[in-house]
Amino acid sequence: MSPYDIRDPSAQRAYMMANEAIVRACLESDVKVFASYPGSPTTEILDTFERICNDMDVRMDISANEKVALETAVGAAMVGCRSFCSMKSVGMNVASDALYVMAYTGVRSGCVVLLADDPHAHSSQSEQDGRWYGYNSYLPMLDPSDPQEAYEMVKFAYALSERYGTIVLLRTTTRINHQSAVVGTSEMRWTSFSKVNWKDNRRNYSAVGELARKGKMRLLETIGRIADDTRMTSFNRIEHFDGYALKKGGPGRSDGYTFGIATSGISYQYVLEALMRLKIKARILKIGMINPMPVALISGFLEGIDDLIVVEELSPYLETFIASAAQGSFSGLRIYGKRTGHLSEFSELDVPLVQRAIANVTGAEIPFDHLEHLKSMGSIADGIPMRPPVFCAGCPHRGTFTALRMALGDKGKVYLSNDIGCYTMLVLPPFSWSDSQLCMGSSLGIAAGVDLAAEEDVVSVIGDSTFFHAGLPGLVNAVHNGHDLTLLILDNSVTAMTGQQSHPGTEDAAGGRKGIKIDIEGALRGVGVSDITVIDPFQIRKSIGPMKEALKRSGVRAIISRGECALYHFRRYRRSGARTVPFFIDQEKCRKPYNCIKDFMCPAISLGPDRIPVISPHICVGCGECAQLCGFGSIRSTAVLKGGEDRVYYTPEDYGKLKEATTKSEEVER
Amino acid sequence: MKGAFNVLYCGVGGQGVVLMANIIGRACASEGIKVISGELHGLSQRSGSVHVHQRMGDDVRSPLIPYGECDVVLALEPIEALRYAYFLKRGGTVVTSTVVIHPPAETSMIVRGEKERYMEYEDVSSALVSSGMIVYGIDPLSIAMEAGEPQAENVVMVGALCALEGSPVSKKAVFSAVADSVPAKTKEVNLRAFDMGYLELSKRLRKL
Repeated sequence: MSPYDIRDPSAQRAYMMANEAIVRACLESDVKVFASYPGSPTTEILDTFERICNDMDVRMDISANEKVALETAVGAAMVGCRSFCSMKSVGMNVASDALYVMAYTGVRSGCVVLLADDPHAHSSQSEQDGRWYGYNSYLPMLDPSDPQEAYEMVKFAYALSERYGTIVLLRTTTRINHQSAVVGTSEMRWTSFSKVNWKDNRRNYSAVGELARKGKMRLLETIGRIADDTRMTSFNRIEHFDGYALKKGGPGRSDGYTFGIATSGISYQYVLEALMRLKIKARILKIGMINPMPVALISGFLEGIDDLIVVEELSPYLETFIASAAQGSFSGLRIYGKRTGHLSEFSELDVPLVQRAIANVTGAEIPFDHLEHLKSMGSIADGIPMRPPVFCAGCPHRGTFTALRMALGDKGKVYLSNDIGCYTMLVLPPFSWSDSQLCMGSSLGIAAGVDLAAEEDVVSVIGDSTFFHAGLPGLVNAVHNGHDLTLLILDNSVTAMTGQQSHPGTEDAAGGRKGIKIDIEGALRGVGVSDITVIDPFQIRKSIGPMKEALKRSGVRAIISRGECALYHFRRYRRSGARTVPFFIDQEKCRKPYNCIKDFMCPAISLGPDRIPVISPHICVGCGECAQLCGFGSIRSTAVLKGGEDRVYYTPEDYGKLKEATTKSEEVER
Repeated sequence: MKGAFNVLYCGVGGQGVVLMANIIGRACASEGIKVISGELHGLSQRSGSVHVHQRMGDDVRSPLIPYGECDVVLALEPIEALRYAYFLKRGGTVVTSTVVIHPPAETSMIVRGEKERYMEYEDVSSALVSSGMIVYGIDPLSIAMEAGEPQAENVVMVGALCALEGSPVSKKAVFSAVADSVPAKTKEVNLRAFDMGYLELSKRLRKL
């Protein structure tokens, strides 16, 4: 997050992340209600709203899932409050059931929904192309090319939304959301929140049968009117690159350009940089509103063009529409892109890939071949150790999975049905474990099918936030249908992966507001799970027995592993003034069996002199999980050196006592 | 500023890589220099490899530095400097911490006999130098501790970056950006760390 204070009402040019610029545009548009479930690359939108919601009087929910978030935002817009909702690509799959119908009913006040795709699947389970949601739902969709345009499009989207009484979709990609740049903002006129009177605004937002058909007719008419609305032209435009610089252009054969490029989103920037290097002339169609497509503008753009390359990420979305617009009228036109193999449907684009594709179409000479440079430099990092993300020092998951592996003896004995969260990293070394891991909540549905079909027992793994997000229907299904499975619930108190946000199982709600904590055991009992075991992940050895017992029984057995996320826990711990008490390895006693390293991979442990493991005191938080794996008792808390107890996790109170006991000796360093 | 000046910041999750780019970005904004940065969040934390692309100058549009066009790699950890060296142009500059953070996966390979020994700073610097890069290794951790706070090692590196030729942003603007970007109670320590990092690299540059 940038240091820019989004609450500053004055117009500024400040360095900020696109996600912050988007929130700023919402505030300038007087958005009063925001709802979201965290997910990369949109999470900073939620975090920024949470930071300012109390000061700016924005009503905000961190919702149980994306469908509920969308319904919350749209519900507010139906009664007359401007609202905003953001979600990652796969979140829209959850929310889309509601979206398609909301397109029919429309909204009263402005409602903008941001949908962020993640080409290259940097932090997602798929590379899905969300642009088709706009087309499929007949909702207008905007596709910004940089943080400034994202900011401007949000403001435009509210005007559009209210002019046509429709939800407007803003589609971004990771390279937009997580881009920082200098953004020029406008003055913010902020008004205080007040509830609207539904009685005076009452109208019917139902859709079924005849009502649905009426809604569909209205929707088709609306999207048609938006297509005719010429005010979209500032985002949809034709430009000329004259070999040196970018100029304003227009449709028509008379400009002498025969090579064209159609593009949108981040790809537009790659195109311009590639052209600056290749120094060739091109007529460029920059599409900012990708649904409805600007058909008339496309036709004008294609006049006089012999060769056209469509530059976009993921599927041939623009290419499909342009090819169909060209059919008949532009029979001599050659279109290059995904279908001709000049660009791939796989992963992201960048300047080198776009430069090569344009050079291949035009025959232009590449002044500096980045991809050749990459090849020649490829060997420089040969033999470099990989550094994949690992469970943090003090993470409860490492203890839980170590105990589970020990309880099973052989991890191949069960089908391990994993879910989405930090524990997804179970599939990486050191555990390299998971038979499947698909999408939010799927651990339980998949487990039902595996239970029907496979001889092996099934273990489902799900986090607390994911359990509330999409785990409950799968659990109800498993109980009702009498499935045999062990459900391992990792209750670390927060939505850890995305930055430790609150969720229905936490005491806090958004913005530090008091929430009602939904008790996991209560929820389990409520849907008929009576076999519940609670373990402490920091007591690995003590957890093995109860886990073994639960695994042997039949029916749906829940094991709740309860221990706070280390990042969350120690942030609060340190704020209270307490210092962590690290463990150390007794260099005399260590016999080097390396239990603390093999299959454990704590970032605090490395090899010291004579290959005896050492613990870095500035990384170790004193969780003591490793000490329980040592057969020689050579890993102990540094507290014992100061007259304290050899125990895991000092609380702030314990730390106070320890400090008192050692006032004569030096203070226990963190 | 005509053309482009490209910096790739890297390190290990938790070291404060993103803040380095934010400080320079803010300084650029104060001097009217066009700047764009590309970062990744999410899974890249958790002691994993982290990198941020930052580009300054009138001609920049892509948030990603094209391979072979990076002017400076500023690394809080040397193995990470080597990991992203393919972005550097021939004869590019690496300013890196000499303090290696051994990846847990590497430790695991060694005890399993799959690898002979750790990769050390000398391995990194010789690989970079033999590829024609100019390498400055400094110990920002010791400098930051001397300044009064080990966590300020990222600000030490930002100070070092300002000592390099070619950076379009002034030292004065970066100094103010540091002051505005860190928590009030650590401001003094961070400004000291910044000056010490600047001085450290200035001394090294004069020797050559």
